[in-house]
Amino acid sequence: MGSQQLELVLKDITKTFPGGVIALQDVSMKLKNGEFIALLGENGAGKSTLMKILYGIYTPDKGSIILNDEELSIRKPSDAIRRGIIMVSQSPQLIDRLTVAENLTLGLENVKPFAGFSRASIMIKEYSMKVGVKIKPDDKVWSLTYTQKQLVEIVRALVLGAKILILDEALTYLPLEERKKFYVFLQEFKRKGGAVVVITHKIPEALEVADRIVVLRKGRVSGELTREEATLEKVRELMFAEAAREITYERLPSSVKGERPVIKAEDLWVQGDFGVPAVKGVSIEVKEGEVAGIAGVVGNGQRELLEALIGLRRIDKGRVHIDGVDVTNKGIGNIRNMGVGFIPDLPLRYGVSQDNNIIENIAVLFHREKFVIDWDRVQGLTRDIIKTFKILTPSEFYPVKILSGGNLMKVVVGRELNYSRRALIAYNPTRALDEITAVQVRRIIKDKAMNERIAVIFASEDLDEVYQLSDTIYVMNSGKIHGPFDPETTPRDEIERLMVM
Amino acid sequence: MNGLESILGVIEGVGAAFITFYLVALGHSIFEKAGLLDLAIDGIFFMSTGAAVLGAVVFGNPIAGSLIAALIASLFGLLMAYLLTTLPISHGAVGLSLQFLGYGLGIVLGYPVRQQVGALYAFCYSHEALLEISAVALLLGLLTYYLIEKTKLGAAIRASGESPHAASALGVNVLTTRLVAAAIGFAIVGFGASFFPLLWQRYWDIKVYTLGYGWLAFTIALAAGRHPIFLIPMAFLFGGLVEYSVTIQSLLKLPADVAKLIPFMGALGAMLAYSFTRLGRIFASPQSLGKIYYKEEKTV
Amino acid sequence: MVLRRTRPLKHGKLTTITLSLVAGILLYTFILAAIGVSPLLTLSIISSSFISSGVIKDFIVLTVLGYALLVAFKGSLWNIGAEGQFYMGAVPVIYLTTVAFYTMGSVSIAQSILVITGSVILAIVFGALWGAIAGAIKAYAGVDEVPVTLILNYIAYYLVNILILGPFQGKYVYGYKRTDLIPEAYQLGIKIQLASTGNPIIDGVLSYVREMIIFGWWLLGLAMVVFLVWWFFNKTSLGLKVKVLGSNPDYLVTAGWDVKKVTIATFAISGAIVGFMSALYLLGYLLRLEYPIEGQTAGYGYLAILVAWLSLLDITLVPVSAYIISSLTNAGIAQSSSPEVKQFLTQAGFAGAELSFRWVMIGSILLTYSVLRFLSDYEVRVIRK
Repeated sequence: MGSQQLELVLKDITKTFPGGVIALQDVSMKLKNGEFIALLGENGAGKSTLMKILYGIYTPDKGSIILNDEELSIRKPSDAIRRGIIMVSQSPQLIDRLTVAENLTLGLENVKPFAGFSRASIMIKEYSMKVGVKIKPDDKVWSLTYTQKQLVEIVRALVLGAKILILDEALTYLPLEERKKFYVFLQEFKRKGGAVVVITHKIPEALEVADRIVVLRKGRVSGELTREEATLEKVRELMFAEAAREITYERLPSSVKGERPVIKAEDLWVQGDFGVPAVKGVSIEVKEGEVAGIAGVVGNGQRELLEALIGLRRIDKGRVHIDGVDVTNKGIGNIRNMGVGFIPDLPLRYGVSQDNNIIENIAVLFHREKFVIDWDRVQGLTRDIIKTFKILTPSEFYPVKILSGGNLMKVVVGRELNYSRRALIAYNPTRALDEITAVQVRRIIKDKAMNERIAVIFASEDLDEVYQLSDTIYVMNSGKIHGPFDPETTPRDEIERLMVM
Repeated sequence: MNGLESILGVIEGVGAAFITFYLVALGHSIFEKAGLLDLAIDGIFFMSTGAAVLGAVVFGNPIAGSLIAALIASLFGLLMAYLLTTLPISHGAVGLSLQFLGYGLGIVLGYPVRQQVGALYAFCYSHEALLEISAVALLLGLLTYYLIEKTKLGAAIRASGESPHAASALGVNVLTTRLVAAAIGFAIVGFGASFFPLLWQRYWDIKVYTLGYGWLAFTIALAAGRHPIFLIPMAFLFGGLVEYSVTIQSLLKLPADVAKLIPFMGALGAMLAYSFTRLGRIFASPQSLGKIYYKEEKTV
Repeated sequence: MVLRRTRPLKHGKLTTITLSLVAGILLYTFILAAIGVSPLLTLSIISSSFISSGVIKDFIVLTVLGYALLVAFKGSLWNIGAEGQFYMGAVPVIYLTTVAFYTMGSVSIAQSILVITGSVILAIVFGALWGAIAGAIKAYAGVDEVPVTLILNYIAYYLVNILILGPFQGKYVYGYKRTDLIPEAYQLGIKIQLASTGNPIIDGVLSYVREMIIFGWWLLGLAMVVFLVWWFFNKTSLGLKVKVLGSNPDYLVTAGWDVKKVTIATFAISGAIVGFMSALYLLGYLLRLEYPIEGQTAGYGYLAILVAWLSLLDITLVPVSAYIISSLTNAGIAQSSSPEVKQFLTQAGFAGAELSFRWVMIGSILLTYSVLRFLSDYEVRVIRK
């Protein structure tokens, strides 16, 4: 690191994504050694895109990156690494089948192609001691927990000699204790001449640790605040502008639950993707007309639980009943036939077929009995969905891949809500929707529960959403479930405590 | 004593077939370890045999034949790796296209010289060379093992095969890595294939491309999890099946085609056996094998 | 830099197809020119083959097989096994016509119809089963279908060879390794002679008409296949599922469908169409099988891959691309039998390998096509730094 001067300037960065989505428009920002910057903004404001451009993952359409008066050409991450710019993302970018040392060796410039991994091993031991974490260089990455992987990522940044450290929600999901330890360490890193950019949605935390706060809104810088100027109110205003007042986080009215349980899980044990138990003995019951929300930090087994309920994931132990029928390991087909809607994690990957048009995407779910498709019926249905959700498309025969991300999400959500006759199982149901549509979707969900008496179980990383929508709140942490809690009477910090405990 | 001799006899008999299959499967494995699906293998195999015949005859030396085959195959590997890494195009389509092109080029390269000289004996490796070549093949296997498992370059190759996006974020230059893997891999494929006409059969003609031995090598690699060491017994087994199919056939009084059938049935059987047992998990293919590496995708 | 297109490229399909053809033909011409064949001669032979009535037979076969593969390819199931499915389809045909119901004389119309219908139906079943095996291995063992279908091709070759040398060995073939000729009573041909008029244009047109009549049954079969494939993809739920499978199997799973079943069914349908064509081909043209079959195939199964790919999986473009491919293969044959070309090839040492040149042409057309295909979904933007 040393004490040499360091000044990084991002100048007029513009980036457009396919579909004409303008992610960044003439964004400029500065960064000096000894600075700790928090980059804030709504989902989709362009924070991650900006940092990915700095790290060479995306190429900007326009704009320049200048380090100490020298214009850099960063076309790939290795170019950035060479300049001491290192990014750690929210999802670990490590190769599972390689060891920790192998993973870290890949970025070490001075290790020759035919050399081994001993240099990295030594450095890992040295730096992990400095940071105060325990990392074994010879462990395969797949055997590590999420927290351990993130620690490896951070140690990696130091091993690679980071001068500018970008943390894209990297600390957000670490346990509080680890996080605090890191903030202390980052302050020291800064004092020694490094620079830090943190992307986070935990605004209070950002206010506490950052020297300067840069806020993005809809791809533009909406303001900069020094530590002294910054208040929670000011930041919120910069993030949401006037719209902040329109968006309501008021609780939607509670629905009257029925007596009949629709979804019932008893002592469920389910494995995650790497063969370790992800759901550990979860029992849950959702009655007719009830909306149950599962709060939790990503990666605590919510996804696996929901996938097991819909029949996508094998259940090792325990039973699932839907409408009183035992559907344990009976497959998703049977459960879907019972009229259960499902919004998956990564909906654009799992919930939609890009090369087909809207009507085909809807038909393949709705048309279940006969061999010959009744296209007239499907067409009526499709038009309904397009109308209700204000999907911007010239016609129902428009290929889905040409729709914008938000409209695509509306196709998925609209289709699944419409399909839910008995129950809805949803993961982040309003992800990637603009706030207005998100509120509308929540209203529709609530409406279906109240008037059509469907049972809803959803998981969301957005605690506001959980509070707004749920009749019952559960918290999922490390594969175990806590609850039920009544949203009317349970304070948020109680839920937050259970989430990160 | 007698038993030992006959065992040695078998080993010698299978040797040339083993060398061919082992090296082709080994090179193919390096290529696929980097995440590049290699459906061109059968065409590259045939083309290399043609190139080997050309080189051996023109230079009057089998070693020149092997090296020329390695060189030409290597160029095709570079082309394939470059196209598949820089453009969002189907690995399968490019591979199969190159397979057909390989059939054609193999004939263009090998046929005229072969017609000119008639018999190839004069240009082939001597029988005594079998031992040395086996040693070279095994040495190449060990070196490959060391390269893949113990070096930074090997880790980069594996990383590019598991997840090129993550590999890139970790600091790997995916294009360079894949080019290197492809050049080395296909050079070994070409080198190995050269032993088909120059050591094993000591014969070559146009029908070689209907044999499907490239596909057998593909299956051997699949069945051995693309592991340089596990490939050894697997290549030996298949080499034996192919080499002794004639013996098996005459012993059991079966038509020639039953014998030709056996290795392919064996290949299919091996594929099935692996996918239904635990071995399948250990020998799992690289996660991004054959997947398009496309950088600018924005997902929600 | 390469970016995903937001709108489909105008005339993208046409451009891609044309460029691929041009590239393939140029490389082919170039290699022949290197041997000494004048490019003009090569190109004139190629262009004249486009208006030769000789392409009708190949055109029909390749269109039907192209549709067969299109069904699988639409589901991103790379059925490279049409060769095997074709010869497995031939097995029941040969069995029924030359073994079980062989006849030297005439038989009742009823028997003719029954044997022919039975052959066609069983050929469809055999083709479907051979396809379904590959589908099942893909579905249940998770093995990539390309090596599986290819290996099944070799297995089919050798199985049929064994049959030809064994139970199917003809009794009236003077010891040749071949089956008996399919009796006239079971043949699906229409015999016709049209008198020459002396006018070359009218004669040219008439020769087309004659070929169309001779292959009348095939044309009927072709029409049925076109209609069924269209109906399958536009009206049936299985057809829709195949399309979704091709685009995103994960969504098919999420929607609650069994990808395994869809995979197997798709392979079976693909193989069934191949089997159907196989029956027509044997009953209407080939009339017997000869040992060894892998040496004497016209490679229809592989050419059909080219047809399906070149159509960009567009149902309306399959006949177009089949016509192009059959013209080009006929050009290859015309070329190698043209005395002038033959002389050059012999001088260059290629006597006996003339036909192999078409692999170069096919390979380069395919390669250019596979590379350029991305242009219809992506655009290339040059970024200056």
